[in-house]
Amino acid sequence: MEYVLTQFASTESTSDGGIFGALGIDITMLVLQAIAFLILVVLLGKFVYPVLIKAVDDRQEKIEESVKAAQAAEEKAESAQENIAALLKEARKEAKEIVTTAKDEATAMVEASDKKAKQRSEKIVADAHEQIEKDVIAARKALHNDTIELVALATEKVIGKTMSSNVDDKVIAAAVKEAN
Amino acid sequence: MATRLSRRKIAAFYADELLAGRDIRAQLAAYLVETRRTREYELLARDIEAALADRGVLVADIASSATLSSESRKAVEMYLLDATNAKQIYMRESTDSSLLGGVKAAIPGRELDATLRHKLNQLKASKI
Repeated sequence: MEYVLTQFASTESTSDGGIFGALGIDITMLVLQAIAFLILVVLLGKFVYPVLIKAVDDRQEKIEESVKAAQAAEEKAESAQENIAALLKEARKEAKEIVTTAKDEATAMVEASDKKAKQRSEKIVADAHEQIEKDVIAARKALHNDTIELVALATEKVIGKTMSSNVDDKVIAAAVKEAN
Repeated sequence: MATRLSRRKIAAFYADELLAGRDIRAQLAAYLVETRRTREYELLARDIEAALADRGVLVADIASSATLSSESRKAVEMYLLDATNAKQIYMRESTDSSLLGGVKAAIPGRELDATLRHKLNQLKASKI
Protein backbone atom coordinates (compact mmCIF):
# COMPACT_ATOMS: atom_id res chain seq x y z
CA MET A 1 0.00 0.00 0.00
CA GLU A 2 2.60 2.33 0.85
CA TYR A 3 4.25 1.46 -2.40
CA VAL A 4 1.23 2.37 -4.43
CA LEU A 5 0.85 5.72 -2.72
CA THR A 6 4.37 6.58 -3.22
CA GLN A 7 4.29 5.54 -6.80
CA PHE A 8 1.39 7.98 -7.50
CA ALA A 9 3.12 10.67 -5.58
CA SER A 10 6.25 10.24 -7.54
CA THR A 11 4.39 10.41 -10.78
CA GLU A 12 2.75 13.67 -9.81
CA SER A 13 5.91 15.21 -8.86
CA THR A 14 7.66 14.26 -12.05
CA SER A 15 5.09 15.32 -14.68
CA ASP A 16 4.76 18.76 -16.35
CA GLY A 17 1.72 20.79 -17.51
CA GLY A 18 -0.19 21.71 -14.44
CA ILE A 19 -3.08 19.88 -13.13
CA PHE A 20 -3.88 17.96 -16.40
CA GLY A 21 -0.39 16.92 -16.51
CA ALA A 22 -0.51 15.92 -12.91
CA LEU A 23 -3.59 13.89 -13.69
CA GLY A 24 -2.00 12.37 -16.74
CA ILE A 25 -4.42 13.88 -19.22
CA ASP A 26 -3.27 14.97 -22.62
CA ILE A 27 -5.16 18.13 -23.49
CA THR A 28 -4.77 17.71 -27.18
CA MET A 29 -5.86 14.23 -27.05
CA LEU A 30 -8.78 15.25 -24.88
CA VAL A 31 -9.89 17.90 -27.30
CA LEU A 32 -9.64 15.59 -30.22
CA GLN A 33 -11.56 12.96 -28.40
CA ALA A 34 -14.19 15.54 -27.47
CA ILE A 35 -14.51 16.60 -31.10
CA ALA A 36 -14.75 12.99 -32.19
CA PHE A 37 -17.35 12.45 -29.56
CA LEU A 38 -19.36 15.40 -30.75
CA ILE A 39 -19.12 14.26 -34.33
CA LEU A 40 -20.27 10.83 -33.23
CA VAL A 41 -23.12 12.35 -31.32
CA VAL A 42 -24.10 14.49 -34.32
CA LEU A 43 -23.93 11.50 -36.65
CA LEU A 44 -25.86 9.32 -34.30
CA GLY A 45 -28.40 12.06 -33.76
CA LYS A 46 -28.83 12.61 -37.44
CA PHE A 47 -28.77 9.08 -38.82
CA VAL A 48 -29.23 6.52 -36.14
CA TYR A 49 -31.39 7.95 -33.40
CA PRO A 50 -34.25 9.02 -35.68
CA VAL A 51 -34.46 5.55 -37.15
CA LEU A 52 -34.36 3.97 -33.73
CA ILE A 53 -36.83 6.48 -32.30
CA LYS A 54 -39.13 5.96 -35.27
CA ALA A 55 -38.90 2.21 -34.85
CA VAL A 56 -39.60 2.61 -31.16
CA ASP A 57 -42.49 4.97 -31.88
CA ASP A 58 -43.92 2.63 -34.47
CA ARG A 59 -43.55 -0.23 -32.06
CA GLN A 60 -45.22 1.78 -29.33
CA GLU A 61 -47.96 2.83 -31.68
CA LYS A 62 -48.50 -0.76 -32.71
CA ILE A 63 -48.56 -1.81 -29.12
CA GLU A 64 -51.06 0.90 -28.31
CA GLU A 65 -53.15 -0.10 -31.28
CA SER A 66 -52.92 -3.68 -30.19
CA VAL A 67 -53.95 -2.68 -26.70
CA LYS A 68 -56.79 -0.63 -28.09
CA ALA A 69 -57.78 -3.48 -30.36
CA ALA A 70 -57.60 -5.84 -27.45
CA GLN A 71 -59.70 -3.47 -25.37
CA ALA A 72 -62.11 -3.09 -28.24
CA ALA A 73 -62.19 -6.84 -28.67
CA GLU A 74 -62.70 -7.23 -24.96
CA GLU A 75 -65.48 -4.68 -25.06
CA LYS A 76 -66.92 -6.40 -28.09
CA ALA A 77 -66.63 -9.70 -26.34
CA GLU A 78 -68.31 -8.27 -23.27
CA SER A 79 -70.96 -6.70 -25.46
CA ALA A 80 -71.34 -9.94 -27.36
CA GLN A 81 -71.58 -11.82 -24.10
CA GLU A 82 -74.21 -9.40 -22.91
CA ASN A 83 -75.98 -9.76 -26.22
CA ILE A 84 -75.68 -13.50 -25.98
CA ALA A 85 -76.98 -13.36 -22.43
CA ALA A 86 -79.83 -11.13 -23.54
CA LEU A 87 -80.50 -13.38 -26.50
CA LEU A 88 -80.37 -16.42 -24.29
CA LYS A 89 -82.70 -14.74 -21.85
CA GLU A 90 -85.03 -13.78 -24.69
CA ALA A 91 -84.74 -17.23 -26.16
CA ARG A 92 -85.48 -18.80 -22.78
CA LYS A 93 -88.40 -16.47 -22.36
CA GLU A 94 -89.66 -17.28 -25.83
CA ALA A 95 -89.09 -20.96 -25.23
CA LYS A 96 -90.97 -20.71 -21.98
CA GLU A 97 -93.77 -18.84 -23.72
CA ILE A 98 -93.80 -21.40 -26.51
CA VAL A 99 -93.91 -24.22 -24.00
CA THR A 100 -96.64 -22.44 -22.05
CA THR A 101 -98.58 -21.74 -25.24
CA ALA A 102 -98.07 -25.30 -26.39
CA LYS A 103 -99.24 -26.56 -23.03
CA ASP A 104 -102.26 -24.27 -23.14
CA GLU A 105 -103.02 -25.30 -26.68
CA ALA A 106 -102.55 -28.93 -25.80
CA THR A 107 -104.83 -28.51 -22.81
CA ALA A 108 -107.38 -26.69 -24.95
CA MET A 109 -107.14 -29.37 -27.59
CA VAL A 110 -107.54 -32.10 -25.02
CA GLU A 111 -110.50 -30.27 -23.48
CA ALA A 112 -112.04 -29.69 -26.90
CA SER A 113 -111.42 -33.29 -27.79
CA ASP A 114 -112.93 -34.42 -24.51
CA LYS A 115 -115.92 -32.17 -25.02
CA LYS A 116 -116.37 -33.38 -28.57
CA ALA A 117 -116.03 -36.99 -27.50
CA LYS A 118 -118.49 -36.40 -24.69
CA GLN A 119 -120.95 -34.73 -27.03
CA ARG A 120 -120.52 -37.51 -29.53
CA SER A 121 -121.01 -40.17 -26.92
CA GLU A 122 -124.05 -38.34 -25.57
CA LYS A 123 -125.43 -38.09 -29.10
CA ILE A 124 -124.78 -41.77 -29.68
CA VAL A 125 -126.52 -42.61 -26.42
CA ALA A 126 -129.42 -40.26 -27.25
CA ASP A 127 -129.72 -41.73 -30.75
CA ALA A 128 -129.60 -45.20 -29.31
CA HIS A 129 -132.31 -44.27 -26.81
CA GLU A 130 -134.39 -42.74 -29.56
CA GLN A 131 -133.90 -45.77 -31.78
CA ILE A 132 -134.75 -48.10 -28.91
CA GLU A 133 -137.83 -46.05 -28.16
CA LYS A 134 -138.84 -46.17 -31.82
CA ASP A 135 -138.22 -49.90 -31.90
CA VAL A 136 -140.23 -50.35 -28.72
CA ILE A 137 -143.09 -48.29 -30.15
CA ALA A 138 -142.93 -50.22 -33.41
CA ALA A 139 -142.83 -53.50 -31.49
CA ARG A 140 -145.78 -52.39 -29.36
CA LYS A 141 -147.70 -51.41 -32.49
CA ALA A 142 -146.87 -54.70 -34.14
CA LEU A 143 -147.84 -56.57 -30.99
CA HIS A 144 -151.04 -54.53 -30.70
CA ASN A 145 -151.96 -55.20 -34.31
CA ASP A 146 -151.03 -58.85 -34.14
CA THR A 147 -153.04 -59.21 -30.95
CA ILE A 148 -156.05 -57.54 -32.55
CA GLU A 149 -155.73 -59.73 -35.59
CA LEU A 150 -155.38 -62.80 -33.45
CA VAL A 151 -158.26 -61.85 -31.17
CA ALA A 152 -160.47 -61.10 -34.16
CA LEU A 153 -159.57 -64.39 -35.78
CA ALA A 154 -160.01 -66.36 -32.57
CA THR A 155 -163.29 -64.62 -31.79
CA GLU A 156 -164.56 -65.32 -35.26
CA LYS A 157 -163.63 -69.00 -34.99
CA VAL A 158 -165.02 -69.40 -31.48
CA ILE A 159 -168.22 -67.51 -32.22
CA GLY A 160 -168.75 -69.50 -35.41
CA LYS A 161 -168.74 -72.69 -33.38
CA THR A 162 -170.35 -71.61 -30.15
CA MET A 163 -173.00 -69.15 -31.20
CA SER A 164 -176.46 -70.33 -30.28
CA SER A 165 -179.85 -68.69 -30.56
CA ASN A 166 -179.75 -68.08 -26.85
CA VAL A 167 -176.47 -66.23 -27.03
CA ASP A 168 -177.61 -64.39 -30.12
CA ASP A 169 -180.70 -63.20 -28.30
CA LYS A 170 -178.53 -61.92 -25.49
CA VAL A 171 -176.24 -60.14 -27.93
CA ILE A 172 -179.20 -58.51 -29.65
CA ALA A 173 -180.76 -57.52 -26.35
CA ALA A 174 -177.49 -55.99 -25.22
CA ALA A 175 -177.10 -54.15 -28.52
CA VAL A 176 -180.63 -52.73 -28.33
CA LYS A 177 -180.06 -51.73 -24.75
CA GLU A 178 -176.79 -50.05 -25.66
CA ALA A 179 -178.44 -48.26 -28.62
CA ASN A 180 -181.14 -46.91 -26.33
CA MET B 1 -195.88 -34.59 -73.93
CA ALA B 2 -196.37 -35.39 -70.26
CA THR B 3 -194.24 -33.65 -67.66
CA ARG B 4 -191.60 -35.83 -66.09
CA LEU B 5 -192.49 -36.21 -62.43
CA SER B 6 -189.85 -36.12 -59.79
CA ARG B 7 -189.07 -39.33 -57.97
CA ARG B 8 -190.02 -37.71 -54.70
CA LYS B 9 -193.53 -36.88 -55.90
CA ILE B 10 -193.98 -40.36 -57.30
CA ALA B 11 -192.80 -41.83 -54.01
CA ALA B 12 -195.17 -39.66 -52.01
CA PHE B 13 -198.07 -40.68 -54.25
CA TYR B 14 -197.39 -44.39 -54.01
CA ALA B 15 -196.78 -44.15 -50.26
CA ASP B 16 -200.23 -42.68 -49.87
CA GLU B 17 -201.60 -45.38 -52.10
CA LEU B 18 -200.00 -48.06 -50.01
CA LEU B 19 -201.33 -46.54 -46.80
CA ALA B 20 -204.73 -46.54 -48.39
CA GLY B 21 -204.39 -50.29 -48.71
CA ARG B 22 -204.03 -50.50 -52.45
CA ASP B 23 -201.70 -52.84 -54.26
CA ILE B 24 -199.43 -50.59 -56.23
CA ARG B 25 -197.08 -53.14 -57.72
CA ALA B 26 -198.68 -53.51 -61.13
CA GLN B 27 -199.44 -49.83 -61.48
CA LEU B 28 -195.94 -48.79 -60.46
CA ALA B 29 -194.33 -51.31 -62.78
CA ALA B 30 -196.46 -50.11 -65.66
CA TYR B 31 -195.63 -46.53 -64.92
CA LEU B 32 -191.90 -47.18 -64.80
CA VAL B 33 -192.00 -49.09 -68.06
CA GLU B 34 -194.12 -46.46 -69.75
CA THR B 35 -191.89 -43.64 -68.61
CA ARG B 36 -188.76 -45.69 -69.30
CA ARG B 37 -187.55 -45.28 -65.76
CA THR B 38 -187.18 -48.92 -64.84
CA ARG B 39 -183.59 -48.25 -63.85
CA GLU B 40 -184.84 -46.07 -61.05
CA TYR B 41 -186.80 -48.91 -59.51
CA GLU B 42 -184.55 -49.42 -56.53
CA LEU B 43 -184.16 -45.73 -55.88
CA LEU B 44 -187.90 -45.25 -56.14
CA ALA B 45 -188.49 -48.11 -53.71
CA ARG B 46 -186.20 -46.42 -51.23
CA ASP B 47 -187.93 -43.10 -51.75
CA ILE B 48 -191.32 -44.75 -51.15
CA GLU B 49 -189.96 -46.26 -47.93
CA ALA B 50 -188.71 -42.83 -46.90
CA ALA B 51 -192.10 -41.31 -47.71
CA LEU B 52 -193.79 -44.04 -45.65
CA ALA B 53 -191.38 -43.30 -42.79
CA ASP B 54 -192.41 -39.64 -42.96
CA ARG B 55 -195.96 -40.84 -42.58
CA GLY B 56 -195.17 -42.95 -39.53
CA VAL B 57 -194.79 -46.29 -41.26
CA LEU B 58 -191.31 -47.72 -41.04
CA VAL B 59 -189.90 -50.32 -43.40
CA ALA B 60 -186.76 -51.83 -41.95
CA ASP B 61 -184.27 -54.27 -43.40
CA ILE B 62 -183.20 -56.57 -40.60
CA ALA B 63 -180.18 -58.81 -41.08
CA SER B 64 -178.96 -61.36 -38.60
CA SER B 65 -176.76 -64.45 -38.55
CA ALA B 66 -179.76 -66.70 -37.86
CA THR B 67 -183.49 -66.32 -37.85
CA LEU B 68 -184.50 -63.93 -35.12
CA SER B 69 -186.30 -65.29 -32.14
CA SER B 70 -189.63 -63.70 -31.28
CA GLU B 71 -188.00 -61.97 -28.30
CA SER B 72 -185.26 -60.50 -30.38
CA ARG B 73 -187.63 -59.48 -33.10
CA LYS B 74 -189.84 -57.76 -30.55
CA ALA B 75 -186.87 -56.01 -28.95
CA VAL B 76 -185.66 -54.72 -32.30
CA GLU B 77 -189.13 -53.65 -33.29
CA MET B 78 -189.63 -51.75 -30.06
CA TYR B 79 -186.28 -50.08 -30.39
CA LEU B 80 -186.94 -48.95 -33.96
CA LEU B 81 -190.38 -47.64 -33.14
CA ASP B 82 -188.92 -45.75 -30.18
CA ALA B 83 -186.01 -44.38 -32.14
CA THR B 84 -188.06 -43.15 -35.11
CA ASN B 85 -191.36 -42.31 -33.42
CA ALA B 86 -193.05 -44.43 -36.06
CA LYS B 87 -196.52 -45.84 -35.49
CA GLN B 88 -196.14 -48.96 -37.52
CA ILE B 89 -193.22 -51.06 -38.63
CA TYR B 90 -192.63 -53.65 -41.34
CA MET B 91 -189.47 -55.68 -41.04
CA ARG B 92 -187.80 -57.35 -44.02
CA GLU B 93 -185.71 -60.02 -42.43
CA SER B 94 -182.73 -61.78 -43.92
CA THR B 95 -180.01 -64.04 -42.59
CA ASP B 96 -176.30 -63.88 -43.26
CA SER B 97 -174.05 -66.27 -41.36
CA SER B 98 -171.03 -64.06 -41.96
CA LEU B 99 -172.54 -61.57 -39.52
CA LEU B 100 -171.66 -64.09 -36.76
CA GLY B 101 -174.21 -62.72 -34.30
CA GLY B 102 -176.25 -59.70 -33.37
CA VAL B 103 -178.48 -57.73 -35.69
CA LYS B 104 -178.26 -55.05 -38.34
CA ALA B 105 -181.23 -52.80 -38.99
CA ALA B 106 -181.36 -50.46 -41.92
CA ILE B 107 -184.13 -47.84 -42.07
CA PRO B 108 -184.43 -44.80 -44.34
CA GLY B 109 -181.62 -42.45 -43.45
CA ARG B 110 -180.18 -44.58 -40.66
CA GLU B 111 -178.54 -47.88 -39.93
CA LEU B 112 -178.00 -49.74 -36.69
CA ASP B 113 -175.23 -52.27 -37.04
CA ALA B 114 -174.97 -54.29 -33.85
CA THR B 115 -173.53 -57.41 -35.45
CA LEU B 116 -170.45 -59.16 -34.15
CA ARG B 117 -168.94 -58.89 -37.62
CA HIS B 118 -169.20 -55.12 -37.39
CA LYS B 119 -167.61 -55.15 -33.95
CA LEU B 120 -164.77 -57.33 -35.21
CA ASN B 121 -164.30 -55.02 -38.17
CA GLN B 122 -164.16 -52.08 -35.79
CA LEU B 123 -161.59 -53.95 -33.73
CA LYS B 124 -159.50 -54.60 -36.85
CA ALA B 125 -159.85 -50.99 -37.89
CA SER B 126 -158.35 -49.91 -34.57
CA LYS B 127 -154.99 -51.29 -35.70
CA ILE B 128 -152.25 -48.69 -35.61
